[in-house]
Amino acid sequence: MEQERLPKITVILHWVLASSVFFLFVSSWWMLSLPLPSAEFTYRVLPFQLHKNIGITLLLIAVTMAAIRIAKGSNGHPKNPDRLQKLAALDHLIMYFLLAACCLSGYLSSSYSGWETSFWWILNLPAWAQENDDLNILFSGLHLWSCWALLAVIVLHIGAAIYHGIADDGLINKMFRL
Amino acid sequence: MNQNDKLITGQTWLGVVGVLFAMLLLANQTNELLKQIVIAPGSAAEMGMAADCRADELAEEGLSLQECRLMVSSVQIILASSPPWFRPFQIGLSLLVCGVALASMVAGFGLVNDSPRFIKLGVISFSLLVLLDVAAFTAALNTGPVLRAQYLWPLLLWFFIHLCLAMAALNVMQRESRA
Repeated sequence: MEQERLPKITVILHWVLASSVFFLFVSSWWMLSLPLPSAEFTYRVLPFQLHKNIGITLLLIAVTMAAIRIAKGSNGHPKNPDRLQKLAALDHLIMYFLLAACCLSGYLSSSYSGWETSFWWILNLPAWAQENDDLNILFSGLHLWSCWALLAVIVLHIGAAIYHGIADDGLINKMFRL
Repeated sequence: MNQNDKLITGQTWLGVVGVLFAMLLLANQTNELLKQIVIAPGSAAEMGMAADCRADELAEEGLSLQECRLMVSSVQIILASSPPWFRPFQIGLSLLVCGVALASMVAGFGLVNDSPRFIKLGVISFSLLVLLDVAAFTAALNTGPVLRAQYLWPLLLWFFIHLCLAMAALNVMQRESRA
């Protein structure tokens, strides 16, 4: 089945985003086992800064992808979607929402923790919030749970991709074509 | 596109699974790279400095005092268990694996889109990953029991995943050449 082509930038951003999300999950599980930070123990500095940089970049990528999707409209999507197609659309919507929630809550938690964020070691983001332990813990919790929810939705997304890959129905080909 | 430009066997599933595992491997190996960069010899934990476990930090992270101290110990254990050659070897190997994982991702893209010219890349990249798994397994085998316990089993899993992918790609290539 021949499908319409997606813009090259959408395909590239999708895969950059996907690879980065997996890296963020695996690296966050590891980096939280590193010694707590102090003047001597600086093991967490690089992983946390990298984590924040990739997270902020992901948010920018997700916004760009959403903007492209809105600008291009829903070409190639059925006019009368069935139940599964509606679920797939909902899955995408929830994924975008959770990705944004995960990145924003992480950034807010970091802001209230009092740690500076240097965007790719080039741009020091302004510390617009005062250190506040309660808000740090609140947003840290939101970050944790929105990321777990995101992982669950990603599992559904990948499961569906594998299903269509095995069915060889051409549905996923557009995301694998530059 | 005429029939000669498309795979006859239609191995979309192999492409999808190949890309998925390539992404997971990329995440795993970039994290390994980060680990080797961060846990460096001569750092605070190796010099025997005491863990800084402030009560407010412990509450924030949901940790006990013992867990906080053990976090430093775990870094010390890794450093003490790593032979001097292990860190540079792991850094080099991780970079190499990342490169081959990217190549296997490209091959996966080609397989999903039934492009015959990507089968060979699939066979080569999946086979290279098998060889790199063997190299990593052999290296881990020549460390101590702590690193062996940490590395060997995941490496064995990756080895079999890549072996399955390499054999599937080889099978597609043979069927294509017969067709």
